[in-house]
Amino acid sequence: MRVHVLRRMERGVPRVLLLGYVLVFFVFLLAPIFFVVLVSLSDAAFVTFPVTDFSLRWYYRLLEYTPLLASLWFSLKLAAASAILAAVIGVPAALALARSTSRAADVVSTFLLAPLSIPMILLGVALLYNLSAIGLGLSFASLLIAHAVVSIPYVVRTVVAVYRSIGRDYEESAAILGASNRQIFTYITLPLIGSGIFSGMLFAILISLDNLSLSLFFGSAQTNTLPVAMLSYLQNQFDPAIAAIGTVQMAIAFVVLLVIERTVGLEYMSSPS
Amino acid sequence: MKMSDRVQSANITPAHAAAAVLAQANARSGVHSARGLLPVLPAVIFLLLFFVAPLVQNGTHSIWLPSPEGGRFSVEYYAKLFSDSYYVTVIGQTILLSVIVTAICAVLGYPVAYFMVRHAGRWNGLIIFLLVAPLLTSIIMRTFGWSVILGRNGVLNSALLGLGLIERPLRLLQGPSSVVIGLVHVLVPFMVISIAAVLKGVDQRLEEAAELLGAGRLRTFREVTLPLSLDGVATGSIVVFMLANGSFLTMLLLGGGSVVTLPLLIYQQFLLVQNLGFAAAMGNVLLALAVFSLFLQLRLIRRQGVQR
Repeated sequence: MRVHVLRRMERGVPRVLLLGYVLVFFVFLLAPIFFVVLVSLSDAAFVTFPVTDFSLRWYYRLLEYTPLLASLWFSLKLAAASAILAAVIGVPAALALARSTSRAADVVSTFLLAPLSIPMILLGVALLYNLSAIGLGLSFASLLIAHAVVSIPYVVRTVVAVYRSIGRDYEESAAILGASNRQIFTYITLPLIGSGIFSGMLFAILISLDNLSLSLFFGSAQTNTLPVAMLSYLQNQFDPAIAAIGTVQMAIAFVVLLVIERTVGLEYMSSPS
Repeated sequence: MKMSDRVQSANITPAHAAAAVLAQANARSGVHSARGLLPVLPAVIFLLLFFVAPLVQNGTHSIWLPSPEGGRFSVEYYAKLFSDSYYVTVIGQTILLSVIVTAICAVLGYPVAYFMVRHAGRWNGLIIFLLVAPLLTSIIMRTFGWSVILGRNGVLNSALLGLGLIERPLRLLQGPSSVVIGLVHVLVPFMVISIAAVLKGVDQRLEEAAELLGAGRLRTFREVTLPLSLDGVATGSIVVFMLANGSFLTMLLLGGGSVVTLPLLIYQQFLLVQNLGFAAAMGNVLLALAVFSLFLQLRLIRRQGVQR
């Protein structure tokens, strides 16, 4: 009996300690975000603590000081365009790769995911000179290409995972029942992987929205993405406007995250590679 | 084995027949597998043009000294990188910082992953959400958050002053420690996710068996759970190491010049000096580090494949 109780204590104490640690860990993880949101609501002219007066003045400031909002709008357009381009190029590849077991398919998969493993800043420098050489330079087209290079892996990875998880059963049933390849694709495959394509594109959009290292090199008055504009603002001023635009971006990301969670679930994002 | 084969072949159903037909069809398409991979061509061509070609071009930039007469081949940039003590220090700092950050992430992240897999239960979804959510906020916002917390008039200093624990604000920002804090904060979710993925696959019966055989909780953890989950730690470490190697924003905003790493130097070279060849050479050193990490990762995956 006594041994039993001791045993249980031995199990109980580490568990409480572990739970306490996990709570501290998440405080650490969420604290910076919490304080940025808090600062964005402050009425003070600069970042200071404790925050005593609250107002929305820094959100109004965003409306007056247009470069930040303009860059957000530019970033959203860029993210959407590069996700669409990545889907057009990447989805056919993902479908072929998911059903192939050949050695060549392995090599191609690795290749298509490779842009994720290269330091972004190197890719940015390299692409800038490459695209300038073919006359694209600091343009929307250049940014579109650069962001698509990084978006393709996300789309391919998500679509391959979703398509594999579905298995061949539905398509085989349709084939046995006499459906043509085209019919199978339109009525079976596409509806089944639709959510995968959608969430892959949304991941790509989120990554694109926050991609400073790539966009940095293509920044100009006409091609300022949000992270680049935020960085240059931050290097000149240290006021709560940056907190406000960050909070706006976070709100957008959360909506996207909720949509992903509702459509396919977050598991596909949490797989490490 | 033979017996079950015979049993199966004894009751052939239409489903079995259909499966056989499909298996044949698949085998046939296997012969034409090159044609089956045709849809990958656009993606492959796109990446060859805008991923491989720029990197190759970058490589040639790094060994080509341009001059009015047309330029010449030279390894001058690399010689400078590996002989000038400043640049050697920068390369050393880049690797050292990444190693430190990776180690801290592993130590801080492991218990969280363990909790997630073994104890979280219905809270698992919430934990995944809390882990992923910071990844979706702008990295600039998170870094700004740390300057808000650690700054002169920041959260921590006001709290300590308010409590009367200090008389003057502490200088917490613009040093190596704030860079480490910022990087760990950005990268630790990747570590947790990688470890959790492997821990999930560890057979809990092995732990139960160890405990039944008389090993205490700690010994079970040390001798069963931890060794079985080391693959997750390794995968996570490679991911974190590579990401740490490539970051420059944290050093730029939280380091105040105290920590200079290769990406930060590339950024400065690009902005201030516009020295393309030298930036290309530094980029290639970074690339070599990334390729080395990838090589380790591939070896790891292959080893896992052999084990399973």
